Amino acid sequence: MPEMSREKVAAVEGSALGQIHDIDIDDVLDYVHKDLKRLPGYIELYQRYLRQRWDVYEIDFAQDARDWTDRMTQDEREAFTAISSGFHHGERQVEVELPVFMLGGSEESRIYMSSQIEDEARHTVFFDRFYREVVGLPGDSVQDVLDASFQHVSETFVGPFGLLAYQADELRADPEDLAARVRYGTTYFLWIEGVLALSVMKITLSYCRNAGLLPGYYTGFTATCRDEARHVQFGMRFLREAVQEDPRLLREIHETLRTILVINGATSRRLALEALGWTQDEVRRLMIRQLTMKLVDVGIDLPPDVQQMISNIEPELAGG
Amino acid sequence: MAVFFTPEWAEEVREAVDRGPGEELRAAKLPAYWAWIDGARASYSSSWALGVRDLAGGGPVYLRLGWKDGACAEAAIVGPDDPLDATYVLVADFATWRDLLAGEDPGRIVMYRRLRLQEGDVLRFFRGIYFFIESVAAIGRVAARLP
Ligand SMILES: [Fe+2]
Ligand SMILES: [Fe+2]
Repeated sequence: MPEMSREKVAAVEGSALGQIHDIDIDDVLDYVHKDLKRLPGYIELYQRYLRQRWDVYEIDFAQDARDWTDRMTQDEREAFTAISSGFHHGERQVEVELPVFMLGGSEESRIYMSSQIEDEARHTVFFDRFYREVVGLPGDSVQDVLDASFQHVSETFVGPFGLLAYQADELRADPEDLAARVRYGTTYFLWIEGVLALSVMKITLSYCRNAGLLPGYYTGFTATCRDEARHVQFGMRFLREAVQEDPRLLREIHETLRTILVINGATSRRLALEALGWTQDEVRRLMIRQLTMKLVDVGIDLPPDVQQMISNIEPELAGG
Repeated sequence: MAVFFTPEWAEEVREAVDRGPGEELRAAKLPAYWAWIDGARASYSSSWALGVRDLAGGGPVYLRLGWKDGACAEAAIVGPDDPLDATYVLVADFATWRDLLAGEDPGRIVMYRRLRLQEGDVLRFFRGIYFFIESVAAIGRVAARLP
C-alpha cells in the first residue's frame, strides 16, 4: 500500500463533522491500516477519541429523506436497507457486548474501552435516526425501530453476532481469562470490525459518493468509519500483545477464525449488491484483503487450512 | 395435543427435528443455506439439553436431544434432580419458550441471549449454529399445551 500523504492524514485525522463530507472513504480505510505496523498505545487512542468524537444529533438527514423517496430506485432502496439493517443490529450488539471486555485488562485499556463503548452507543443512535428519518420506520423506542428493521436482517446474522454474545457470556464468568479475551477479541475486533464493518462501509459509502446521494448518511457513516480505525487499531494491538505475552494464544486466534470461517460458508439470502454497483466477487476480494492486510501487519501467521478457508470467503454484510 | 415438557411432547419434537423443515419453509431461504446445514448435520453426534428455568415454579427441567450420525436418535425429559449429561446445555426462561412456540425467531432469541449456553465449548457449538437454530425453529412448530 502506498504511503498516505501528510495532507490526507491530517484531513482524516482532524476534520470536524462539518468537513467530513469532503473526505473520501478510501482515505479513511487507508488511515485504518497506516498505523497497524506501529499501533498507537491505548492512551493515544483515547486522546484521539476525545478530539474525534462527534455529535450524532448534528447530522442533518433532510436531503437524505428526499434522495430516498425521489432519487433512489426500489432496487437501490432494498439493497441499501438490507445491508444497513445488518449494521443497525450489529451496532446494538457490539455496544451491549463490550462492557464485559472493559472489566479485564490494564487500566489504560479500560480507559480506552470506555470511549469505544460510547462510540458504539452513538453508532446505534446514528442508525436509529437514519431508519426513522430517512427510511421512515415507525417506533417510540430504540427497540421498536430495531424490531421494525429486523425483517431485513439476514438469517446468518446470528452466526458472528450470536457467537459474540455467547463469547461475552463466557467472558463474564472470568473477565481476566486471557484466552477467552483473545477468542472474543478475534470475533469482535478482527472479524466483525476489521472485516465485516469496513467492507460494508466501503460498499455503501462509495455508492453514496459515486451517485451523489444521502449526504447525512455519508457524513455520519464516514465519521463512524474513522471511529472504527481506533477500534481496529486497539483490537490489533490487544491481539499482538496477547500473543507476545503467551505465544500459545495464537492457537486461540486460529480456532476462533476456523469457527468464524465455517459460519461464513452459509448464505441464506441473495444480496442485491449489483444495485449498489458491486459484484459478489468484488466483495469477496474486498473482505479477503481486509482480513489479510491486518493479519500480515500485526504478524499473525496462519496454518494452511485457515488460509484455504480464507480464500473461500463468502460475501457477508453486517458490521458494528 | 401433547403437554409441554412431557415424554409425549419430547417424542413429537424428536420426530419434527429429525424430519427438518418441509419444502415450503426451505424455499424461503437459499439452497446454499440448507446445504450448509446438511453438511453440519451429516455426522453430528453431539447432544443438546434445552432447559426451561422456571417451569411451574420448579427447578430447571431439560429436553435432552441426542444426535447420532446426523439422526436425532433420542429424546428425553430430564428433571431437576436427575443426572444430566449433554455436550451442550442451554437454558431459557418459560417466557422465552412461550414466545418460541408462538413463532418468535430462534436467531433473535440467541442474539438477545434469551437462550444461554451454560455448558459446552462455545466455538464448537457455533460450528453447527444454523443447524441448531433451524432445529429450535422446528421445536417451536410442534404444537404443545402449555401449563
Ligand atoms: Fe466499532
Ligand atoms: Fe460501531
